[in-house]
Amino acid sequence: MVQVAGSSEVISQQSLERLPTGIVGLDEILKGGFVAKRAYLLHGNPGSGKTTLGLHFLMAGAKRGDQALYITMGETEQQIRENASSVGFDLTGIKFLDLAPSPDFFAQLQSYDIFSPADVERDPTTERITAEVESLKPIRVFIDAMTHFRYLSSDDLQFRRQTHSFLRFLTDSGATVLFTSEYSDKQPDDDLQYMSDGIVRLDHEHDTRTISVTKFRGSDFIGGSHSLRLGAKGMEVFPRLVPTIETKQEFVTGILSSGIPELDEMVHGGLERGTVTILTGPTGVGKTTMGMQFMKEAAGRGERSVIYTFEEWTEALLRRSANINIPVAAMVERGTLSVVQIEPLRYSPDEFARMVRKDVEDNGASIVMIDSISGYRLSVRGEDLLRHIHALAKYLQSKNVAVILINEVDDIIGQFKATEIAASYMADNIIFFRYLEIHGELRRTLGVLKKRHSDFQKTMREYEITKYGIKVGKPLTEMRGILLGVPQIKE
Amino acid sequence: MGTSTLPILIVGSNVRNLELLAQFLKKEGYECISATKLEQFGQILAGEDRYGLALVDIAGFDRSIWGYCEQCSNQNIPLLIISPQQVTSIRQESMSHGAQGVLFKPLVVKELVNLVNSMILES
Repeated sequence: MVQVAGSSEVISQQSLERLPTGIVGLDEILKGGFVAKRAYLLHGNPGSGKTTLGLHFLMAGAKRGDQALYITMGETEQQIRENASSVGFDLTGIKFLDLAPSPDFFAQLQSYDIFSPADVERDPTTERITAEVESLKPIRVFIDAMTHFRYLSSDDLQFRRQTHSFLRFLTDSGATVLFTSEYSDKQPDDDLQYMSDGIVRLDHEHDTRTISVTKFRGSDFIGGSHSLRLGAKGMEVFPRLVPTIETKQEFVTGILSSGIPELDEMVHGGLERGTVTILTGPTGVGKTTMGMQFMKEAAGRGERSVIYTFEEWTEALLRRSANINIPVAAMVERGTLSVVQIEPLRYSPDEFARMVRKDVEDNGASIVMIDSISGYRLSVRGEDLLRHIHALAKYLQSKNVAVILINEVDDIIGQFKATEIAASYMADNIIFFRYLEIHGELRRTLGVLKKRHSDFQKTMREYEITKYGIKVGKPLTEMRGILLGVPQIKE
Repeated sequence: MGTSTLPILIVGSNVRNLELLAQFLKKEGYECISATKLEQFGQILAGEDRYGLALVDIAGFDRSIWGYCEQCSNQNIPLLIISPQQVTSIRQESMSHGAQGVLFKPLVVKELVNLVNSMILES
């Protein structure tokens, strides 16, 4: 959702002609694509994906019948075609202007030193480009790399003036231009950054690739860095989720019952749609089972739920659930439940968020459960993961989805802690689970710690997980010290 | 500059350099005769044709190039030496073998053209 802006600005942004980039996520970041007849710098280190992005842009144009021109100053057309073919790119309809040096250049026949390249090559290069542009009248142009023109200029001032003039010539001819730069500490590309109408930065550090827009004249865009994947399909971009003030969101009010009268009584009828619930407790206490109980009930009404599991194999979950009367396999078969097992370290937070969003937007879901927060933190690559999961939860809330986050605390018994990762602030509801030791026997209890939108029962209850399902007992009003884990009967 | 002036003799071991030099001078209306080997240079000097100027790129030649440069000077052909490096010893050697001037690479086209024009006029 675009942040609130002046109405005139919104109108003028809507009237700008946009050229889709060919990459769905990047179009989302750019609010529809590059603004037509402008020039954009793709800034990034070698191997960061500049050429791939340029090819996506040209292919997207060729596909819809736009004239697309690739001006190469480094790699030859043949090399580009071979590399593109290895990732399945179809370059049909893309015209190449190959200004890369021929092999003869290395031989004495072509190399020279008597004049500077600026004196010798600028005019012929300019003539070839001009002729090509005038005959083809391209709508999309990709120049890789613009910095080669630096060597055809006698000094920085000349380079600046010539590049300005060149970009103007292209955009005035009706082209939208993407160009790359090669830069180093000794040879920065600050001048090109100033000259461009927008800058797309591509970064690659260790195993993390990101893309960010740092300048986009005349248009809004989603700021910050977003995850990027270069793979078998070329470039995929995963816009980060930024919690925004959603306007005009049509909230469907409603309460999701657990189907267990005692539990529903504890939470004043059930969990509200569009809220975040944290189920917190020690390992093995039944948090996932309790979350699935809400899903089972939703499935009975024909509503769909999704579990993203970071810790438990899908098969184990299916088997375990069948043993406690939660028919996960049947729910999956009927399409009322999806169990998505997340491979460790495969996803960045943005990629994971994209997957969840796609599932919710394409298939609809009443309940999304993330099992668990600590699994997410261990399995997803990147930093500041709690902030990302917060953004995701807020987004799901805005879609009226009930979000269940499973949180594991380390201590089996002992001093009570709601969560160990300071995640409580994002929760509308917190249901906690405790083991109790009564007469040497380990028993399970649950209680409600927080419920933002309604009253709730303040007493805890014992519960059992049996082959017939979850059975919740009466309030434990006769006991004290429950939260310490070793309760005593009140005198 | 008209084509009625005497041709310019250009000498150098790099073919592409000579092509470019000839190309720029041709644009200014000069005819160029080129030599890429010392023997060829010697044969041209031994001929009957006259030249308005000799431009000699010494890169890639051995010391015997200076003998041919002196020969140019003896035949009253104005001589400009082109050197790959700005070295004082090359400048001294050039002048002592009859050169009117020494140019260092890369040459600036405008400056070269001005210099050639003025030398041709003088000759």
